[in-house]
Amino acid sequence: MDSLTLIREFLDSRLGVAPDKVVPDATLAALGVDSLMMLELVFEFEDRFGITLTKDLKSPKTVGDMVALMERLHSEKS
Amino acid sequence: MTGRRVAITGLGLVSPYGGNLADFHARLLAGESAIRLLRTDDLPRPLNMPFAACPGFDAEASLGRPLAGVLDRFAQLGLAAAFAAWDDAGLPRTPQANERERWGVAWGTALGGTMAYEKGYRDLWQNGRERLSPLSVVLGMNNAANAQISIQLRLGGVSMSHTVACASSSIAIGEAFRRVRSGEAPIMLAGGSDTPQAYAVARAWEALRVLASADEASAPASCRPFALDRGGLVLGEGGAALVLEDWEHAVARGAFIHGELVGYGTTCDHSHLVRPAVAGQVRALNATLADAGLTPADIDYVNAHGTATPEGDPVEIDALRTVFGDHAKRLAVSATKSLHGHLLGAAGALEAIVTVLALRDGAIAPTAHLKELDPACAGVDHVTEARRNQSLRAALTSSFAFGGSNAVLAFRTVADQP
Repeated sequence: MDSLTLIREFLDSRLGVAPDKVVPDATLAALGVDSLMMLELVFEFEDRFGITLTKDLKSPKTVGDMVALMERLHSEKS
Repeated sequence: MTGRRVAITGLGLVSPYGGNLADFHARLLAGESAIRLLRTDDLPRPLNMPFAACPGFDAEASLGRPLAGVLDRFAQLGLAAAFAAWDDAGLPRTPQANERERWGVAWGTALGGTMAYEKGYRDLWQNGRERLSPLSVVLGMNNAANAQISIQLRLGGVSMSHTVACASSSIAIGEAFRRVRSGEAPIMLAGGSDTPQAYAVARAWEALRVLASADEASAPASCRPFALDRGGLVLGEGGAALVLEDWEHAVARGAFIHGELVGYGTTCDHSHLVRPAVAGQVRALNATLADAGLTPADIDYVNAHGTATPEGDPVEIDALRTVFGDHAKRLAVSATKSLHGHLLGAAGALEAIVTVLALRDGAIAPTAHLKELDPACAGVDHVTEARRNQSLRAALTSSFAFGGSNAVLAFRTVADQP
């Protein structure tokens, strides 16, 4: 599964956000992702891709930032 | 005790029957039991016990997906009940101005987010997971319900939970009552919620040998307080909430007043963890009457703790006989747990609602399934069929908890809306 699909599925199942609203320019806060939900999203990502993020990771602001972060970490791993 | 008068302007619950408050009361009056056989697929041995569940409760439909997803079931039930009470009080979910800085929440729960932690144990020990979702902490914390109620309704005053076993929400209501009466808070939302079907909790109660057993057919009539053939208590899940409001505040905004909360007394038996004592209950009953400025002769109904255990029932009636003396024979008493089960930390709030509805509607819900009275429970006027068109002036509801904590609340009828 690609990163954007993972984020869309997560936001749909947890927050009821329609997938077509989850576009790269959208800010995560506007979609209802607060700091707690960000932790959950990171947790889900770690789980799916079998990696552990460092604790001092800077929080992404937009869906695009999040996708870029996920892809980078994913490629570093493989 | 003098102070400000305390109006009850909102009543809300998650009904085990699935309907609204009026439906809940109508079914109690009809003697319709909400208790069914609960069967689960738990390992190593499924639960198989009579239980009062809320099968019609859909947390997502009731609270919305984002909110439901960050709450354990006890907090979902609590928040839904709180919203229902708030709506019933005619208060908007979102405040107009900054008026709610002193408004607060007092909640009762015996178990809190036990189910969330239980899920964690299952994931780690049964499902081979090696880590837990970061939300587990906020799902499991015991103050999750009151915290989320304060957040959702923007209440800036005290936000607290009371864990006092089966007296949790009676004590929450009582402590909230004192804050409104003293003028500290113009409005307090008080209530409780619990989910005793948490696997290890239900199995622990089973091990204590105080639960009724039943099959599918006998489950609805398995909780028989004060009856010679009683078989033990029946657990239930749920949430119940009341809006307590400064009388003048309620009148000024033209709120409907369901009843008046006039007294609260709480004591501890200070003798035994699970064996109740007459003396401690008598002190709680007398303290409540004194607090309310009422005499035994003023009380027309008692919603009893009545759990249907041989240890509890006779002691409770003994305490009522002691306090009410000559009036006891004419004192209408019913234990509605026979219909809605024992909601542990939510029991006091649910039964407070039943008591307020009895006064407001002049209709007493019965102790169901009471055919032959245990002679040790004689001496009061046991209500075994609904009584309607009653003229009731004041009523008590009692909660007597493991640990020996006792809490009694006194309510008065509002004859004419001010």
